[in-house]
Amino acid sequence: MDNFSALLEGFATVLHPVYLLWALFGVFIGTAVGVLPGIGPAMTIALLLPLTYSLEPTAAIIVFAGIYYGGMYGGSTTSILLNTPGESSSIVTAIEGNKMARAGRGAAALATAAIGSFVAGTLATVALTFMAPVIADLAVQLGEPDYFALMVVAFITVGALLGSSVSRGIASLALGLFLGLVGTDTLTGQQRFTFGVPNLADGIDVVVVAVGLFAVGEALYVGSRMRHGPIRIIPFEKGWRSWMKRDDWRRSWRPWLRGAAIGFPVGTIPAGGADVATFLSYASEKRLAGKERRKEFGKGAIEGVAGPEAANNAAAAGVLVPLLTLGLPTTATAAIMIVAFQSYGIQPGPLLMQSESALVWALVASLYLGNLMLVVLNLPLVGMWVKVLRIPRHYLYAGIILFGALGSYALNFSPVDVLLLVLIGLAGFFMRRYGYPVAPLVVGMILGPMAEDRLRRSLAISQGDLSYLVTSPFAAIAYAAIVVLLAVGIWLKRRERAAA
Amino acid sequence: MAPEAPTQPGEPTAEAGPPPSDALEPAAAEPTRRKWGELVLALATAALGGYVLVAAGSITVPGSTNTLGPRAFPYLVGGLLVAAGVALVVLVLSGRAGEEEGGEDVDPTVRTDWLTVVLLVVTLVVHVFAINVVGWPLAAAVLFAGAAVVLGARPWWRAALVGLVLGLVVQVIFGGLLGLSLPAGPLLEGVPFLRG
Repeated sequence: MDNFSALLEGFATVLHPVYLLWALFGVFIGTAVGVLPGIGPAMTIALLLPLTYSLEPTAAIIVFAGIYYGGMYGGSTTSILLNTPGESSSIVTAIEGNKMARAGRGAAALATAAIGSFVAGTLATVALTFMAPVIADLAVQLGEPDYFALMVVAFITVGALLGSSVSRGIASLALGLFLGLVGTDTLTGQQRFTFGVPNLADGIDVVVVAVGLFAVGEALYVGSRMRHGPIRIIPFEKGWRSWMKRDDWRRSWRPWLRGAAIGFPVGTIPAGGADVATFLSYASEKRLAGKERRKEFGKGAIEGVAGPEAANNAAAAGVLVPLLTLGLPTTATAAIMIVAFQSYGIQPGPLLMQSESALVWALVASLYLGNLMLVVLNLPLVGMWVKVLRIPRHYLYAGIILFGALGSYALNFSPVDVLLLVLIGLAGFFMRRYGYPVAPLVVGMILGPMAEDRLRRSLAISQGDLSYLVTSPFAAIAYAAIVVLLAVGIWLKRRERAAA
Repeated sequence: MAPEAPTQPGEPTAEAGPPPSDALEPAAAEPTRRKWGELVLALATAALGGYVLVAAGSITVPGSTNTLGPRAFPYLVGGLLVAAGVALVVLVLSGRAGEEEGGEDVDPTVRTDWLTVVLLVVTLVVHVFAINVVGWPLAAAVLFAGAAVVLGARPWWRAALVGLVLGLVVQVIFGGLLGLSLPAGPLLEGVPFLRG
């Protein structure tokens, strides 16, 4: 078990006081920003990327791990207590959790979400610990065409499933692929689509695109149709005794475990991310509830909060499996994490667990630790998170714009990057307005150049023989899997829409 | 896109504002305008694809390249853009509009306030040109205060004060402590802990 000792070493690193503080900082910021409406985990990490310019890699990765899990916890608080739907993966929670809060059971909803997230997050992190080394070992044996096949799978599933409209998702993906083309071709040194502008010869920075789309685009869009009037937060009872009653525990523990069992595998495959996992868990809880309980669904059933919240966190851990072992981002957040790695010159992929073993295990250890910190922090501090929810929206979005501008300026200390940020922000605004999902764009931009590289190397090996791309058994299975993933994914989306 | 009759850009947000639904009725003209905007975006996607296809032909291919050169992938991407754009044009013309993105702070019942969008972009552009003139902290204060006032912060001097404090705090943390070389600007150049 040398992975076990590697994990223990990871814990030894993370338990170092300085790193403990960074982990605490990460979960704290992650929860606070996760609570804020309009900011998902992807935007949080994008906005905090400037930290990586001055932190050492281990500290930064620990902070990002904290933000990653913290954002998930924070999001559930918002969807339970605020009267409006929130980030996509917690919308199912919003249905039941919001109803529970209105019925005066807000504290129980918050508690089952937090404890369920902890249980499922921990179980999924255990699964990640065991699975990642095995998959990394297998991944080392994959050839160039196999990787190209994996990327094609990721493109198509991300483009088709990360939004409400397949064609708009594909358009967004294609735009991202185009942005990825801009710059100097790595293999031949030729300039492509640089329009003769010297700044573009190095390519467009992914950070500017991510921050522009997520932060500036969102701020412009919210600004264009801002919700005026008071911020309505549902009051809930204070004191830990009211969190969960005996009956709540009895009804929650099975959904937590089922949520973990559904969320983790769904997270590991590129099938639409946490969104699909929460919905699947919700649907199965409803089915298993029995005649009496089923009537409660839609009116505030605790199972409908416990299961999906658990599935959400388990899926978040599952997403890390393809990210750390294959370098394959399957959600927007994972794509931004890749950017964070890349800014240190670290390329996630099958060799990561060997070359950066200490870093990877520190990351895994900080996931365990972050989860523990979150469940301890979250419930007692819920009063503070509610205050965060009350931040006046004009200051909130002005702050988002400010940090977005800082992040892109600090890349090269050149105002030109900020100007580019404004243009991309405008593009993000129009994409939101007309229902184009922005996540496929970011994934396409990051994966595009990698896929081109793999494709050209494959064909250089086969000397132009296209059949080489599909003759390896792994690649053939991957292409066949696209059809299955798409069919299942689109069917799930349809059902999800019908249920909502 | 023609700006639709803009609402007041700086209506009080938070606590004091009137309930949204009775204040602003969605205009009847909005769906048609929206459809046009969506059509323009779909056409632009297809046009970009067309451009990529044409421009890919003029990428220099060095003689040494065997098999797949620097043009192949751009051709694929251009084709994908054209296909997606055309599919979207067909979708929009057949009346299947995209679903606008929702969000906690988005009010689906109000019509688009173009003036706010334009003013936010203007504030950002002013910030871009201000950085090298007055330094980062002050440019940041202008950006924050400007955006907050455009989004409805009142009174304006409180937003300005918050912006100034925020700009200086970020300068101290990121410039002074974390060593990011943010230019402090001519006014604050002499202060040691602000220097990036």
